[in-house]
Amino acid sequence: MKTRDVFAYSFSAIKLRKLRAGLTTLGVVIGIAAIVALLSITQGLQIAITRQLQTGFATDTLIVSTGGGFGGAFGQGALGGATSSGFTLVVNDTEIINNITDVDTSTAIIQRTGQIKSGTIVQDVTIVGVDFAEYQNIYSSTFVPENGGSIPSNPENDRVVIGSRINDPQENGTSLFTVNSTVDIIWLNATGFPIVRNETYIGNVTAILPEIGGFGVGGPSDYSIYIPISQAQSFFGTDECNVIVVKLTDDEEATIDSVSAATKETFKNQVSVTSAVAVLNTLSSVFSIIQLFLAGIAAISLLVAGIGIMNIMIVSLMERTREIGILKALGTKSRTVLLIFLNESAIIGLIGAVIGIATGWGLANVVALAFRGGGLFMGNQAVASAGMTITPVLTATVLLGALGFGVGVSVIFALYPAWRASKLKPVEALRYE
Amino acid sequence: MTTIVEATSLKKTYMLGKIPVEALRGVNLKIESDDFLAILGPSGSGKSTLLNLIGALDKPTGGKLSIEGIDLSSLNDNQLADIRRRIGFVFQFFNLIPRFTARANVELAMSIADVSRAERRKQAEELLETVGLKGRMGHKPAELSGGEQQRVAIARALANNPRFLLMDEPTGNIDSKTANEIMHLVKRLNEEKGVTIIMVTHDQQLARETKRTVQMFDGVIAKEIVN
Ligand SMILES: Nc1ncnc2c1ncn2[C@@H]1O[C@H](COP(=O)(O)OP(=O)(O)O)[C@@H](O)[C@H]1O
Ligand SMILES: [Mg+2]
Repeated sequence: MKTRDVFAYSFSAIKLRKLRAGLTTLGVVIGIAAIVALLSITQGLQIAITRQLQTGFATDTLIVSTGGGFGGAFGQGALGGATSSGFTLVVNDTEIINNITDVDTSTAIIQRTGQIKSGTIVQDVTIVGVDFAEYQNIYSSTFVPENGGSIPSNPENDRVVIGSRINDPQENGTSLFTVNSTVDIIWLNATGFPIVRNETYIGNVTAILPEIGGFGVGGPSDYSIYIPISQAQSFFGTDECNVIVVKLTDDEEATIDSVSAATKETFKNQVSVTSAVAVLNTLSSVFSIIQLFLAGIAAISLLVAGIGIMNIMIVSLMERTREIGILKALGTKSRTVLLIFLNESAIIGLIGAVIGIATGWGLANVVALAFRGGGLFMGNQAVASAGMTITPVLTATVLLGALGFGVGVSVIFALYPAWRASKLKPVEALRYE
Repeated sequence: MTTIVEATSLKKTYMLGKIPVEALRGVNLKIESDDFLAILGPSGSGKSTLLNLIGALDKPTGGKLSIEGIDLSSLNDNQLADIRRRIGFVFQFFNLIPRFTARANVELAMSIADVSRAERRKQAEELLETVGLKGRMGHKPAELSGGEQQRVAIARALANNPRFLLMDEPTGNIDSKTANEIMHLVKRLNEEKGVTIIMVTHDQQLARETKRTVQMFDGVIAKEIVN
């Protein structure tokens, strides 16, 4: 029999039992749809998060902190602080770090959560103390003044730089501040707990940052206000810094590794050093594991579909024993009978996979839309309002993989019934009632 | 005249569980081209068993069977399948594929033998016309009478220019009037188209229409009559 005729023959058998074939196909559809939906959503999510992180990163920087690495270095309200051994990083440690080979410059960051008041409007913000000149040197593309402001190298103590979302919390283009407006800066001083005091001073806006997006690691954020480091030291009453951002001479992996190692050694392993590149790498490997896990779960549902196919093929084999006898009496070779049955299953698998991919893709887009609607996934207002959107991604690998997997599982589970069909003896098959 | 089928001491023993059933106990038979042979005999005498062996649908347990000089015992399953393509088999219960039309059933035999689409359509139509079903080509078996179904089966059996036709009680399931018509058709095929025919029947009347009759009894050929 010619391939085309085998195909036509198989198809006529499927068409005869539409409902049954439909239900068998549905099993494949569900399995494939689950795989495709999960993978395209997680890949979309990964890209979205990576993009958000990259905006706040500079690849040629390292973040030195006493806290737990990535978490401790995270931009907003970072933990930092003392380690269990009582080790702390202080502002002047930048001088030590600057002596390490391949370090271009470094700058300390002291930050606290606090509030600012302008008129009657009070906002919760992160107050970040930085050396304006060094910080601008490191984040030269994001820590820049917008519309006529300036970021002075030797600022007076009351100068503040304002993140774009603090200037325009509603995100509707209105500005709360202009250059030279004043702002009340409030910090709830709990260092003398149980005595708690509101510390406050009046700042003077010298610059407003452009919108950055993302959640920066060490880098500028839309939700922070920046004050001179010396002011932060006296206002917060401390020399301890949360993190020190180190700028390297380049972003080669060797440089990143050697400076990381040297820094740790300098501080006797009491600091953790995080590189933007390492964070991204960790993130992507975490995502790979999540994807594998989710796809694995979805694959199980496909195996269930495979068993359904096997069941149906065995029933079909018994119903069609006589038909197989006729085929053989007419001179059909065993191999062709095998092909006919495998082909039937492959057709079901292919149709199921195609519908499943379309369904899964549709599902992924619906989920993405819901996410856009309200930060559904992370329950994180900041993430949602930062304008982070997931665009589901269907890579060629996932597409072809799903197709192959759908057809493959169908064919594998049909192997046994098809083999049995092909082995039937003509006389016995013809006598079968 | 050439010898098409030659059986020597042909034996077939079935195993019913552990009990052997000797269906054929040494059959000697020679069939020449253009022959029209009827095999008569009571039920259970081994007629179908013999026909199945000659049709390469089953393998003998003893003796020798050659078709056109080829010893069937020397062939593997694939080669036997090839032999079957050149043998036309007509069954008592028609054995048509229910989901196919008359034409598709006839075409199937040719598609198995790798005949091209255009060619098999043309031949199927010609064959169905030969058996008198010109107007019924698009009908499925369920939409045809028993006699008509058997005509489709005969057309299908003729599809790949078979060396000979094997018919196992082709009229056994058909009323006698239609049976006569079918018999007439078969006779015409033998006389006009030179098709060699081996037909199992237990109808003495029909057997008399053939050129030669063998009588089977208890797994052997008991007597031979030349009409
Ligand atoms: N598959 C089988 N298994 C066991 N016995 C069989 C089988 N086929 C036929 N027989 C036995 O072989 C004998 C001959 O059967 P068969 O050739 O069908 O006779 P006929 O066609 O002349 O009626 C019978 O006794 C029958 O019961
Ligand atoms: Mg019989």
